[in-house]
Amino acid sequence: MVVAAGVGFVAVVALVATGWFACARARSARRARSEAERRCEALAQEAVQLRAQRDETAHERDALAADARRLSDELAERDERLAASRAELERALARGGDALQRASHIADEAARLRRFADTFERWHEQMTSLMAQNYDMHQKNQELSSIVSHVLIVSLNASIEAARAGAAGRGFSIVASEVRALAARSQELSKSYRDSLNRNDLVTAATFQDIQAGGKMMAASLASVEALANQLHGAFAQAAA
Amino acid sequence: MISERAKESIGRIFAGAARSRLPTSDGHACEIVDRHRDAGSPQARVVVLTISSMQFRLLLLLHFDDDAGMRDYYVGDASRPLADAFMEVANLCCGAMNQRLVEHFPDLGMSTPYTLSSDCVPYLATLKPAHVASYDVSINDTVRIGATLCVCTGAPLDFLAEEAADAESGGELELF
Repeated sequence: MVVAAGVGFVAVVALVATGWFACARARSARRARSEAERRCEALAQEAVQLRAQRDETAHERDALAADARRLSDELAERDERLAASRAELERALARGGDALQRASHIADEAARLRRFADTFERWHEQMTSLMAQNYDMHQKNQELSSIVSHVLIVSLNASIEAARAGAAGRGFSIVASEVRALAARSQELSKSYRDSLNRNDLVTAATFQDIQAGGKMMAASLASVEALANQLHGAFAQAAA
Repeated sequence: MISERAKESIGRIFAGAARSRLPTSDGHACEIVDRHRDAGSPQARVVVLTISSMQFRLLLLLHFDDDAGMRDYYVGDASRPLADAFMEVANLCCGAMNQRLVEHFPDLGMSTPYTLSSDCVPYLATLKPAHVASYDVSINDTVRIGATLCVCTGAPLDFLAEEAADAESGGELELF
């Protein structure tokens, strides 16, 4: 009896234990499922985030690729412009070298042409020589005029003496009268010659002075051209350096 | 060919140059009066100078006598000829005119002076001048100088030169 009771008790205990164990397992299974569901949900969220990140990365990649293409295009364009600028610079340098040579040539020519002033001065010296000759002719004409005046007086005296001689001096009177007429014409000629010399003096002096002054004007103008050409040459040389 | 104001301007330029250069000292009185062109030249000699430009040429003739008054004034105790001393003065006077004219005509040149007989002056008409003006210049009422300006131009000439504010300084810098 006791044994039966003991067995029964054990059986009850075993049943209780089994039930408790089953309950514990069920609870554990529920917890495990709940945990699994939470993890699945977390994983799903993580997957969503990863997709979003992937999309964002893809977008950034596309943007970077676009930037890269744009930069590449810009670089190509700048390279092209640089090549054009280099070519233009080379042409400009070539032109600058040519202009430098031309400026130098103009300065040299202006300096050379300024020597024309020497020619004008030579002409002016010749004017002085010409005027000296004119002065000599003035002196000779004055001497001639003095002689003619003397001849006039002599012819007048001859006429007086011829008149005193009466009929015998008639022929001599005619000769004396002719001499006086010739002397009077010579005097007129001498005066006319003196006037011509005076006119010649003025025209010669004015003409040669105009040549001399004009020569100085041209020399001054050429000096200005030479100075400008030298300034231009200096500016080109500085730019080329 | 030459406008009235250009003629007056040339007269003003000459008067300024004469007042500043013909007297040997700043304090000396210099009077300039117009002289009728047909009055002739009372002086025996004349110094001629020419200013040339691309538009015109201007002849300045300064008439003088080689007398005691002129020699005392321009030569003094020196032993040089009056003509040489007066040519220097005439050169300075013409240089002062050149300096004023260059303000209006950038390309100008000036000749050296030359002495002629005043018997040559009536033949200025041979040069076919566009304008001739004559003046009598008196310095300290003792020195008498005649002046003739003769402008020849083939083109119209018009400019205006005002009275010089300062009586021409710096004529010495002119390179002749």
